[in-house]
Parts: sequence; C-alpha cells; structure tokens
Amino acid sequence: MTEAVITARQFDDAQQQRSASDLGIWVFLASEVLFFGALFAAYAFTRFRYPDAFAAASRLTDVALGSVNTGVLLTSSLTMALGVRAAKLGARRALIGWLAATAALGLVFLAIKGGEYYLDYTQHLVPGLNFQYAGPDSRQVELFFYLYFFTTGVHALHLIVGIGIVCTVAAMAWRGVFSPDYFTPVEVGGLYWHLVDIVWIFLYPLLYLVSRA
Amino acid sequence: MISHPVLPAKVYVLIWLALITLLLLTLGSAYLRLGWVNGAINLAIAVVKAVLVMIFFMHLRSGHYLLRIVAAAGFFWLALLIGLAFTDIGVR
Repeated sequence: MTEAVITARQFDDAQQQRSASDLGIWVFLASEVLFFGALFAAYAFTRFRYPDAFAAASRLTDVALGSVNTGVLLTSSLTMALGVRAAKLGARRALIGWLAATAALGLVFLAIKGGEYYLDYTQHLVPGLNFQYAGPDSRQVELFFYLYFFTTGVHALHLIVGIGIVCTVAAMAWRGVFSPDYFTPVEVGGLYWHLVDIVWIFLYPLLYLVSRA
Repeated sequence: MISHPVLPAKVYVLIWLALITLLLLTLGSAYLRLGWVNGAINLAIAVVKAVLVMIFFMHLRSGHYLLRIVAAAGFFWLALLIGLAFTDIGVR
C-alpha cells in the first residue's frame, strides 16, 4: 500500500489511531488477566486447602506432554514476534511465513493437548464422565481435575480463536494490506497470541509440577 | 508507540533461548525435594518468563507508559482478587 494510511474521522492522525488500537487491546488483555485470574484464584484457594490431594493429583498429569507443549507454545511466541518484526520492515513474504509457522505450532499444541485429553480419559481422570480414583481424598483429587479441564479447556478455546486471528491476518498480508506504516492487525493479533502464551506459562507449573520429587 | 523501533531478530531468538532454559530449570527443579520452595521456584520462574514475554515480545519496554499502567492495573486487580479471597482463610 503506497498511499497514506486511511484514518478514521475521530482521530487526528494515523499515529493517534494506532495508539488507540494499542491501548484498546491492552485494556482487553487486562480484562483477560482477570477472566483467567478468577480461575487462578479458585485454584490457589483449593490448593491451599487441600495441598496433599493437589500434590497427588498433579502427579497423574502427563508431565512429558505438558513440558513439550510448553516448548511448542513458547516457540510459537517467537515466530509471532518475528512476524510482527517482518510486518514493521514491510517484508510481506517473511510475515506470511512466520504467521503460518505460528498457526502451525498452535495446531501442534492443540493436537498434543487432544492426545493428552484422550490419555486422561483412558486413565479415568475426567470428572463428570468417568472419574475414578482409588487413593485417599478422591473428592479433592477430582476437584483438581475439574480445574485442570476447565483451565486448559478455556485456554485451548483461546488458542483456537488465536489461530483463527493469525490465519485472518495472514490472508490480509497475502492481499497486501500491510505496509511499514500500517500493520495494526498484525500487532494486535500478536499481543493476543502472547497473552494466551502467558496464561499457559502459569498453568504449566500449577498443573504439572506441583509435586514431582 | 511514538516510534516503533525494530529490534534485531537476534534479540527475539535470545529471549526464546532464555524462555526455553527457564522451562528446563522449572521442570528440573520440580524433581528436587525442596518442600514449599518447589512451588516458590515454579511461581518465580513463571513470573520471570511472563515478564520477558511482556517486555520483549509484547514491546512493553518501548511502548507508551499508558500501556504499562493498563497492564499493571490488570495484575493489581488480580492481586486484590486473590488477596481478598485469602483473607477468608486467614480469619476463619
């Protein structure tokens, strides 16, 4: 796009318009912190009350798959950041490549997570479906798995939305919508993607690493 | 936001290496028998990882100060949420 960036009527200039987008997405992300925050608060409260049950329950999660998935998601944040960098430089092909890599890594994460859910199912760890636990505190262990499925499920939902956003932005890049003067959707989509990564950065130790020693 | 500086790609790769190293550290530390310190290490490493992502990948360092205020406000309210929930345990 060689002509000047189209500025909506309510803004003085393109710079102000971009600042407004940045502020808007950060306000949204702050609200997301509180959305997930309620779940983290529920987790903290329950773990504080039933530390032994949470230690036992956490040992039932698949730490190998969880750790690999953490690496996959951290790597997807790198490819996303490099995508935003390519957009700033006006490197269209590189931008599309990094976005495709980001979406692909997101799909890999979902595939591994899905496989993990299946293993959880075969081990009778799904509350409300087939939960069975022979040890002590089985109700409290079940509570951990309610939180496990709810938090990872809502996270996976965010990731599916993120993959949709990344694909949409990639299609816009393909059509040549972006330039070094205008790449707000890339930037805003990237910020959302990184937030989903941050949520997982906290979920990983809280779900998988409570008591491994 | 005033000027969007383009960081060298090397910076992003180094941050990614740091994140992966921290992931291996948190995983490894979980297998040491340290009692409550295990949880503290895990949480501290998660905070460091999140801050690295926010500062470098999300460009909070070079962004407008308003963005840092908004981000801090989100975590401030989260601290209130969890903090006040725990007063219930404290006074029970």
